[in-house]
Amino acid sequence: MAAEMALLKPISKFSPKFGNTSRLIPPTRFFTVRMSSTAAPPSAPANKKKSQKQEIKESLLTPRFYTTDFDEMEQLFNTEINKNLNMAEFDALLQEFKTDFNQTHFVRNKEFKEAADKIQGPLRQIFVEFLERSCTAEFSGFLLYKELGRRLKKTNPVVAEIFSLMSRDEARHAGFLNKGLSDFNLALDLGFLTKARKYTFFKPKFIFYATYLSEKIGYWRYITIYRHLKENPEYQCYPIFKYFENWCQDENRHGDFFSALMKAQPQFLNDWKAKLWSRFFCLSVYVTMYLNDCQRTDFYEGIGLNTKEFDMHVIIETNRTTARIFPAVLDVENPEFKRKLDRMVEINEKLLAVGDTDDIPLVKNLKRIPLIAALASELLAAYLMKPIESGSVDLAEFEPQLVY
Amino acid sequence: MLASTTLNLGSLGSQLLNSPSHNPTKPFLLPPNKPFLKSPNPINSSSSFLKLRTSVKTAVAAVDSSDAAEKEVGEAGSKNYHFVVANAKFMLDEEEHFQELMGERLRLYGERNKEQDFWLVIEPKFLDKFPNITDRLKRPAVALVSTNGPWITFMKLRLDRVLQESFEADTLEEALASNPVDLKFEKPEKWTAPYSKYEFGWWEPFLPPKTSKV
Repeated sequence: MAAEMALLKPISKFSPKFGNTSRLIPPTRFFTVRMSSTAAPPSAPANKKKSQKQEIKESLLTPRFYTTDFDEMEQLFNTEINKNLNMAEFDALLQEFKTDFNQTHFVRNKEFKEAADKIQGPLRQIFVEFLERSCTAEFSGFLLYKELGRRLKKTNPVVAEIFSLMSRDEARHAGFLNKGLSDFNLALDLGFLTKARKYTFFKPKFIFYATYLSEKIGYWRYITIYRHLKENPEYQCYPIFKYFENWCQDENRHGDFFSALMKAQPQFLNDWKAKLWSRFFCLSVYVTMYLNDCQRTDFYEGIGLNTKEFDMHVIIETNRTTARIFPAVLDVENPEFKRKLDRMVEINEKLLAVGDTDDIPLVKNLKRIPLIAALASELLAAYLMKPIESGSVDLAEFEPQLVY
Repeated sequence: MLASTTLNLGSLGSQLLNSPSHNPTKPFLLPPNKPFLKSPNPINSSSSFLKLRTSVKTAVAAVDSSDAAEKEVGEAGSKNYHFVVANAKFMLDEEEHFQELMGERLRLYGERNKEQDFWLVIEPKFLDKFPNITDRLKRPAVALVSTNGPWITFMKLRLDRVLQESFEADTLEEALASNPVDLKFEKPEKWTAPYSKYEFGWWEPFLPPKTSKV
């Protein structure tokens, strides 16, 4: 998927501050790491390996790479075991993905390099970070979908093929973003990332919730940036945004596929646990994005957006979309929700400030405790706000009363 | 893509508590054009599956493969028409992604010289055959009609708040016949998006050929 761009970065202080040029590692530094990683003989001392892993972890905690219980996935979509699996939606989706709407869309031109050369100063780094995070996020989708496509081939060839076609899209997006990095004389070594990054395990059910939200929020982020820049071309400082309109249709379709996956497993949608998990995932995704983006206002302001307004728009629209499938969603249009988000931003800023002091680690940690408690309590309060009952009309209890 | 979401929150505390290093390093950000890198852009040269499809033409046949689905010709030469329907406000005013999907499809059909097989019908006459639907429908209503059944199933999945059915008709005119009606949408009370709404009338290219002037 895509756009989680920002979504995936940790809320912590790892996120570099814009304008701080020291975060661009001098070239020599890359090499050491790179060499030690791939070129190191297998017999390399264990501690060396360890430290190398550590470095990756610290440098890019997120976007995360995911893995799941592939055996359970095979069970869930095995048409032998689940004779009632409704395949009509999957067949329809397969046709859509095969159509390949963006087959010829991702073609670069010389505008890219020229625009990149013009981006100087602090904005240049912001762009690099944006491209890098977006590329990693897309690539993370590629890896997971590719593996699912491979693993489900025997038990459910249709679902497997859709996963493979989605990995095609993600690879295309990641490749396009990586080409963008080359405009800035950089490149992500995705082969290295694949091997060296830590993978986070999620049970299939949670992969569905998280990935659905991730794809849909990605759509809303991309389309919002696209439509804003179309109306305000003076902020169009790098041509990649012009590709977002078609690009984000891929994200939206990927989200639809996860809708279908969940509808095929109604046990993930129709009980009280599903409602609690739905709200939890919504909250996690929205808060993560809000806190991350509020640390990167320079980027959004650089393209003429008000960060908080942009985020609230994306959250509200994503939530409306999500209400078509999740059995419960948050009442994000209640002004109290935004007030809570804003308080979390304040607390998070204090947390970051603690990290920037010269205190010894122990003192820093002690200072953080009350702040983390405050953040946790805001999160809990937001989670416990009265939710909105929702869901697909194909499953929802309120369907008979609905007027279309 | 994948929402790192939960994890970010879940591990927030531990990240904050266990993060002594303050010096983000970027081991994977590699400068291109250095001798011992395999390639400046690994995505394009070292992983065969990560090609940008700028010139690859092998999978083009995809759309055509749906032709089978779309030519559901009945005994007497009649065809099956599939549709989803909801009130006009929902279909034409509120669901802006719907317009994007329609535009995308029209573009693709143009690029691949494919004959259009999907239309928007405002107040379609065929609704009279579906009392179960009209009972539950706000008016005026708008239907998305296509001879491509699987695509309509996909659109049902996407739009969700729509009713899906199909019918047979002998001619396209008969299938897409409509009753004249004037559409008018109230402006949204508050419009907070950082862009303006798509323009009223965006649907005109998708109306049936005969009634394209409303």
